[in-house]
Amino acid sequence: MTRLLVSVILTSLGALVYGLLLGGVSRVITASIHGRIGPRLTQNFIDLWKLFRKESSIHHGTMFWMAPMFRLTGGIGVLLLVPIIAGNSVLTNMSFSGDLLLVLYFMFFGCLGMALGAGDSGHPYAVVAVSRGLLQMSAYELSFSAAVLVLALGLGTFSIENIVSAQQGGILNWNVFRFPFATAAALITFLPMNMTYPFNIVLAPQEIPIGPPTEYSSRFLSFMFSGRAIFGVAKLILFVNLFFGGAGSWSSLLIKTFLLYMYPLFVSPVFPRFRTEQSVRFLWFVPTSLVAVDLLRVIL
Amino acid sequence: MYCNKIPDKPVDNEKIWKKLDDLARANSLWITAYGTGCGAIELRPLHTSRFDMERFGIAMRPTPRQSDVLIISGYLSVKTLKRVIRVYEQIQDPKYILALGSCTIDGGMYFDSYNTINILDRYIPVDVYVNGCMPRPEAVIDGFILLMKKIKEGKAVGWKRYKENLEYYRKNQREIIRNWDLPDYNW
Amino acid sequence: MADDLMTMLRETVEDYRVIRKRHGYLHVSVPRERVMEVIVTAKSRCGKNVLQLISAVDRIERDIFQLTWILESTEDASIFMVSADYPREGCKVPTLKDMWPSAVFFERELREMFGIEFPGNPRQDEDFLLEGWEGIPPMRRDFDTLEYSMKTYGERRKREHVDPRRLIAEHTGEWDTPVPSRKEKS
Repeated sequence: MTRLLVSVILTSLGALVYGLLLGGVSRVITASIHGRIGPRLTQNFIDLWKLFRKESSIHHGTMFWMAPMFRLTGGIGVLLLVPIIAGNSVLTNMSFSGDLLLVLYFMFFGCLGMALGAGDSGHPYAVVAVSRGLLQMSAYELSFSAAVLVLALGLGTFSIENIVSAQQGGILNWNVFRFPFATAAALITFLPMNMTYPFNIVLAPQEIPIGPPTEYSSRFLSFMFSGRAIFGVAKLILFVNLFFGGAGSWSSLLIKTFLLYMYPLFVSPVFPRFRTEQSVRFLWFVPTSLVAVDLLRVIL
Repeated sequence: MYCNKIPDKPVDNEKIWKKLDDLARANSLWITAYGTGCGAIELRPLHTSRFDMERFGIAMRPTPRQSDVLIISGYLSVKTLKRVIRVYEQIQDPKYILALGSCTIDGGMYFDSYNTINILDRYIPVDVYVNGCMPRPEAVIDGFILLMKKIKEGKAVGWKRYKENLEYYRKNQREIIRNWDLPDYNW
Repeated sequence: MADDLMTMLRETVEDYRVIRKRHGYLHVSVPRERVMEVIVTAKSRCGKNVLQLISAVDRIERDIFQLTWILESTEDASIFMVSADYPREGCKVPTLKDMWPSAVFFERELREMFGIEFPGNPRQDEDFLLEGWEGIPPMRRDFDTLEYSMKTYGERRKREHVDPRRLIAEHTGEWDTPVPSRKEKS
């Protein structure tokens, strides 16, 4: 029990540091795409500490307090339910106690809490962003769930550990080669999940200035930042486990998550933003029809 | 549903982390994206690749709740002053004000205008002035570096001055804003 | 288009005066009783369907406000300007809000800046730019803006005068040009 607790705390802290570092790397790379020098790699840590130590004298109700916690809980929940390194007895954390369905639920949980809190803040932009976000979520959850269903039907299991072990023994056993269309669909839904550019209608700078966190200040915002960093890392590890053969060692984990993290970074600076209805229409038709190919192949 | 309470006087009880806090605050200044006058046009080049203020950790935030610095960019009309007070009081402590242009110092070329203020420091506490009409982006960056230096030395205490002398500032503000309908403090 | 307007003017008002006429541009001055008639006819018969601006000039020497309505046509972008003189004291001008809803804002601005009344405009007393202004409207020429600024916003700080010749002289020690002392000039 103590060992589990220690591993849970260490995993969360490690994911936080890794997520913030990845954020720093992404800021530097975006800056060099713009032809700028860009911030320090540790800028996100400085921002986090500053936000944590600022005065926070404003709140708008109970849900307003809880929303950053929901976000953090959603992130840590996904992180703990996914085996980080396959076969490592410590870093599998609590993946014995839940399967993919629970993970899907937790991914929804953080966003839902955020929506409730933003609604409690009462800012009109926050409410607009929440309605957009829930609409978009209903659009991409469809194809992502279908992609997960393809894996479950094809491999005959919902357990992430079994899905990882089914992919061992050669690169051609990875799900990205077994189910290429489902993987493509899941990778498209990875963009709106990370709120990167063609699909960032929720945060939408210059449009509804920053969306849900408009009223969130200092300490609330620092929790939200760390929740987002942890959630980002958890999603990366989940995708590596589901489609890219899992991670057998530290080095393969770092390489795979880093490469997967780079992918939205090179999509986002070259695309403008979709409008809400365009985004929803795209997400309902393109990834869904991609995943339907694999779904039919698995069923027949 | 809003709070009308006047803020407490600031107390200095953050001895342990003070050094680290000041270092973090100086290296992560977030600006409220609010242009009050003509100088706002000089802030745009600061984002771009030529001047690139992100290398100092300076970023734009669209809401006053999340920012640290409010830039008064150039002349300030009385109508805008009312909005500036609202925005300034909504920023969470610690907060700093950077005043650009000679208009904020002594009225500049609008010294005889019926609708622009002459001396900004009477109405809100200013930490750093950058003179010029308008100051070029290099001068603005220089002002930011001076502000960072003041924060690291613990001398940028405009926000404490504002809370301690709230009656003085309120009196000056109410003198020139004729249709005063703000609450006692805009939380 | 300009010929159209000239015919229209000849038919509606006799004593108009052409101030300037160019291709696609006509500026006339008409007596103030006939202004509304001219504008209505220009909109209905000559296709001047956009009200661009209502402006006022305070001609304090002749004791009048000169009001100018600037109309434009979206078909050929030609401009038609009508001017009329109104007395400065108790200036009352008919409103155009029924023909162009945007006229409400121009009229509110004139009401605030010059004190010109538009009796038909229900929103004329709302604040436009100056919130809660009292006293003489600021754009009238008998309003002393420097004195007002000194009184309300405080005295301007005096600058210290630095003569470059003095700096050079102090630096090199050569006093070949007469140098004013520092206190001499204000």
